[in-house]
Amino acid sequence: MLRLPTFQLHEPASLKEACALFAEHGAAAKILAGGTDLLPNLKHEIYDVDHVISLAKLPGITGFEMQGHDLVIGALTPLAQVATNPNIQKHAPALAQAASLVAGPQHRQMGTLGGNVMLDTRCQWINQSYFWREALGFCLKKDGTVCHVVEGGKKCVAAASNDTAPALMTLGASLTFVSATGTREIPIEDLWVADGINNKSARPGEILTEIRLPLRDHTHHGAYGKLRERGSIDFPLLGCAVRIDLDDADCVRDAAVSLVALQARPLLIKGVDALLQGLKLGSTELDQAIEAVAQLAHKKCKPLDNIPGDKDYRRRMVPVYVRRTLRAALDGTGPVHHI
Amino acid sequence: MRLLELEINGDRLHVAAPPHWTLLEVLRYELGLTGTKQGCDKGDCGACTVLVDGKPQLSCLMLGSAAQGHAITTIEGLLPAHRAQGGAGADPVQDAFDRCGALQCGFCQPGMMLSAKALLSENPTPTSTDIKHALSGNLCRCTGYTQILEAALLAATKTEEVL
Amino acid sequence: MAARDQHGSGAPWGAEFKVVGQPHRKIDGLAKATGSAVYTDDIQLPGMLHAKTLRSPHAHANIVSIDVTKALELEGVHAIITGTDLPINYGVIPWTPDEHALANGKVRFIGDEVAAVAAIDEDTANAALKLIKVEYEVLEAFFDPREALAKTEPAIHEQKPLKDGSSRGNVSKHVKLEFGDVDAALASSDVVVEHDYSFHGTTHAAIEPHCAVGQYSADGLLTVHSSTQITHYVQRALARVLELPEAKVRVIQPFLGGAFGGKSDPFSLEFCVAKLAMITGRPVKMLWTREEVFYAHRGRHPMQLTYRTGANKDGKLTATDAKILIDGGSYSSFGLVTTYYSGQLLTGPVDIPTYRFDSTRVFTNKPPCGPKRGHGSVQPRFAFEIQLDEIAEKLNLDPIELRRRNWQGEQTKTVNGQRITSNGFMQCLDLVEQQSDWKARYGKLPDGRGLGVAGSMYISGTNYPIYPNDMPQAGIQLQVDRSGRVTVFTGGNDIGQGSSSMCAYIVSEELGVDLGDIRVIAADTDLCPVDLGAYSSRVTFMVGNATIDACRKLRKQICTAVAEKWEVEVAAVRLGGGLALCLSDAQKTIPVREAFQWAEARFDTLGSTGSYNTPTLGGDYRGGTIGASPAYSFTAHAAEVTVDRETGRITCEKVWCAHDCGRALNPTLVKGQIEGSVYMGAAEVTMEDHGINRFGLHSGPSLLDYRIPTSLDTPDIEALIVESIDPEGPYGAKEAGEGPLHSVIPAIANAVYDAVGIRLRHLPFTPGKVLAALEEKEAGQPAGTAS
Repeated sequence: MLRLPTFQLHEPASLKEACALFAEHGAAAKILAGGTDLLPNLKHEIYDVDHVISLAKLPGITGFEMQGHDLVIGALTPLAQVATNPNIQKHAPALAQAASLVAGPQHRQMGTLGGNVMLDTRCQWINQSYFWREALGFCLKKDGTVCHVVEGGKKCVAAASNDTAPALMTLGASLTFVSATGTREIPIEDLWVADGINNKSARPGEILTEIRLPLRDHTHHGAYGKLRERGSIDFPLLGCAVRIDLDDADCVRDAAVSLVALQARPLLIKGVDALLQGLKLGSTELDQAIEAVAQLAHKKCKPLDNIPGDKDYRRRMVPVYVRRTLRAALDGTGPVHHI
Repeated sequence: MRLLELEINGDRLHVAAPPHWTLLEVLRYELGLTGTKQGCDKGDCGACTVLVDGKPQLSCLMLGSAAQGHAITTIEGLLPAHRAQGGAGADPVQDAFDRCGALQCGFCQPGMMLSAKALLSENPTPTSTDIKHALSGNLCRCTGYTQILEAALLAATKTEEVL
Repeated sequence: MAARDQHGSGAPWGAEFKVVGQPHRKIDGLAKATGSAVYTDDIQLPGMLHAKTLRSPHAHANIVSIDVTKALELEGVHAIITGTDLPINYGVIPWTPDEHALANGKVRFIGDEVAAVAAIDEDTANAALKLIKVEYEVLEAFFDPREALAKTEPAIHEQKPLKDGSSRGNVSKHVKLEFGDVDAALASSDVVVEHDYSFHGTTHAAIEPHCAVGQYSADGLLTVHSSTQITHYVQRALARVLELPEAKVRVIQPFLGGAFGGKSDPFSLEFCVAKLAMITGRPVKMLWTREEVFYAHRGRHPMQLTYRTGANKDGKLTATDAKILIDGGSYSSFGLVTTYYSGQLLTGPVDIPTYRFDSTRVFTNKPPCGPKRGHGSVQPRFAFEIQLDEIAEKLNLDPIELRRRNWQGEQTKTVNGQRITSNGFMQCLDLVEQQSDWKARYGKLPDGRGLGVAGSMYISGTNYPIYPNDMPQAGIQLQVDRSGRVTVFTGGNDIGQGSSSMCAYIVSEELGVDLGDIRVIAADTDLCPVDLGAYSSRVTFMVGNATIDACRKLRKQICTAVAEKWEVEVAAVRLGGGLALCLSDAQKTIPVREAFQWAEARFDTLGSTGSYNTPTLGGDYRGGTIGASPAYSFTAHAAEVTVDRETGRITCEKVWCAHDCGRALNPTLVKGQIEGSVYMGAAEVTMEDHGINRFGLHSGPSLLDYRIPTSLDTPDIEALIVESIDPEGPYGAKEAGEGPLHSVIPAIANAVYDAVGIRLRHLPFTPGKVLAALEEKEAGQPAGTAS
């Protein structure tokens, strides 16, 4: 059997204790939540860590809570609960749909929303055993000096592969990190860094505790589209989340489109709202604008040969999935998934 | 080494295991509960599925320690639980899988049956589509899933009869 | 020579079968269902050590030196072996013994085995692997078979030169056979289709990884438990490599978690656990990781195929000419047979009047290919059945009708000299035509939806026993005692297909014993008579016949004893339903247990043996016996697909598979084989790809990246059983485990053509290829030029 490396396991009983441990061990420690991302990566010896800080015994960072106009989701809430929560399904359908399509059923029972946000980037040259990576001569992300995706590349381009990230981005979510030195809340857009080695701005010692969604009081439409080979288990070859808010006259008030499984960062497409704003539901203008958004996304998204799946094909699917997901959001038929 | 207190199939057990051992390794190699299978090493196949508080989870991606405080059900737990309720023969899910020919090599089936069990306890009258979705994290290489689907549907009717 | 030990295809007690032909549970189903079935990795022995393998990071290299000093010093390490400890070569085919348990001075693919460590646990063994220092001299590696064929140096294997003195280069096997005048027939044909096709590599991906446990007793008996489907050949190979008498080697196959051909070679781990157990005096287990299973491979050979097929206006085929380049990977494995099968198994169910094939298997520096379900014949079938579709289109014939017009018939001989006995192909065609509502729907479905058909045949074992000998291919022993219990001893490997249950059904039918009173002890070379193993779809046919043979001998004794007691004719005694009955006197009825007691009293301790061997079969030419089977199964598939023109995704919605398995001994198990075959074949079309990347590394040796279908990705499958009772099969049975895979692949290809008008000839059919082909079609280029 492929074995886990040895490590010191910490099981703090309070967030404070967890933060203290993380502050003490910093980069030599990894946070363990659901384990569905961390354990395979540990087995592949992608991290040099001596300490694993398990959040299994922490009370109170699970579940859903309304705080004013915000819905606050505990970071340790299992994805299966996010997918089936009626409030999320109603007010943040893109998130519910994205959560429902993460990996397979067992992963969604174990994996948490916070864990999916903090998912490590993925690449065909890194998510392999130590033996395999050594035979390759390693790569930029770990143990090596060359990139096998971009010839001569000096920056790791492993792909953000978290289904929920684009959904949270379209929803304007913010994230709460707690550390030994205090609490920090950041908009989710600010989390991402264009570096596949670590695509997050969270500092060592910070633990994600809450995901905050501002709920809208006007009509909200959302959907998630996922391209993958199989109907289950697989990471996205392309993920696309959309939000369309309508005003009382059924005209687009605001809209957002975000994609994942491209490069190191999930991408929020700029300029979508300008293309769609003011257009009426069911109008030809809206149809045309949706196509324009699809083409805009196509222009902005350049998948690489990082994750498995032909990059040209994935790029070609960008406008298809953007268009289909926008339509599904308006029609209430999401998610866009081949099954 | 740490001493784990685990609740497995209704028994409270104490077992010493290194902290980097997964629940799968603790079950198979410490407790001799080898009915839980290992197929892929890292959460890709579902053969190691056990029920954690009734929900299907992957024991190869769970540290032994993380199982503490939860009720773990392995495939070995179904028959005794069925007997404890006064049932004859095997558990309705196990019996239906056997009857329908769903057990070819049988290797993926402990995990598959536990996923089916979890589904039926939540939804006693699932459709074929429900079953396909619920079992979509358990890979089977022998059956093409057809007889598994038949078995799960049969188990649903039999479970209803029992209840 | 006539087939030995045959008993006809009828029911043992007259017209009616009591057990056979009905659905029954498997004898080991509940053991599997409750988790009590013991598979190899479930075995824990006192003092057992755990072993791990060091593998080559180079695709092609000479080993300059290996230094294990540091690794041996690690606490908990008990032994380390390298190629010099196991210097004797082996190979499942005795003519091509080009493997070593651990590299003998040279490595030939990334993942090739170099050293093995036995330690107190896996972690310690893994730590030791990292301390072994190997110095390599890296050689040029070949990943493309065309390149390996063109360049003879560096040769991947040292081989004897050809008879004319020229080098074999990297050619593993070349077979060219011609039957009739193909060129003349093609020249005079009304239509000829000619195209290139390619079939990619795929693998078995049984969910149980390979595992072996070795024990060596103080008195020199070696016992190896292994997840193998060929106990007998493993025993022979272990004896050879470890230089032990075969009588000192015991191989046991515990419950097996799937095989599909992937466990039909002797593997490095079996030799390593044996040698390490001999060195350390302790039991040793080795369990391969999933990644290592991908390196062990022995999966479907990638093939590049060029086919020409001719026909006349009346729809009658005239000739087929095939040229095939086979990518063998780094070792021979079954490759000699593969090369023959790539040509020999195409000559039914449609008659090919003249036929030529020219197949070349080439070594490359990739994981070795071998036998995967439908060994060697799935790839040619793909090309040929697409050609039939094209011919039908050219002649404006329905593709089912084309196949009907060319059906070879029953009790006939193929162009390459294979004897055909029963042949239910026409009923197979009828059934899929009917069930798919073909006439109303083929060619008439809306754009993006289509139907396709294809047919095939496969062997029920062959008369080629791998190593030449005149002994039976299958043997059975029965042991019966006064309790009423019958124990069957069979060397047959139950790999999940249910062969042990099959034996029990036959014993129950023959001796009237309840299924619950029958035990089957299988695949233990110390306890069971020799059987050659679970490959080539031979088990039901051969082991089944041997079981009937053993039963008939025992039945004679039992009936004689009962007849004597009752003072009636032996022919008046019947065994069935747990009873012995008298036909002439309804009052005379006893439990079968009592009948056994009478027989035991009359004849002493009861038991019998049975065996089966094939008749002399095959064409009278070199290689004519390879692929010669005592009976062939026949299959027709109809597939319905949808093609999304925008995403290029092909979805196989439904497959109707009609399979002629002779008599279905247990229809539940036959359906399971059909469904499993269809699922596995369909996945090869769009999903699975055993790819090797530009570095020679497996592109994704995991069940995440090698994507086998989930329950959501599998088409609806309608399994239809056709029973052409075979005169020589056990009660008329033939194979069901491999045939039903073949033609699902071209049926899907043909359905794609019906759906969107593109001819895809190069597997796998990725969405990108579909989109490219659709664009070519739009642009007016000839369909199907996309690669």
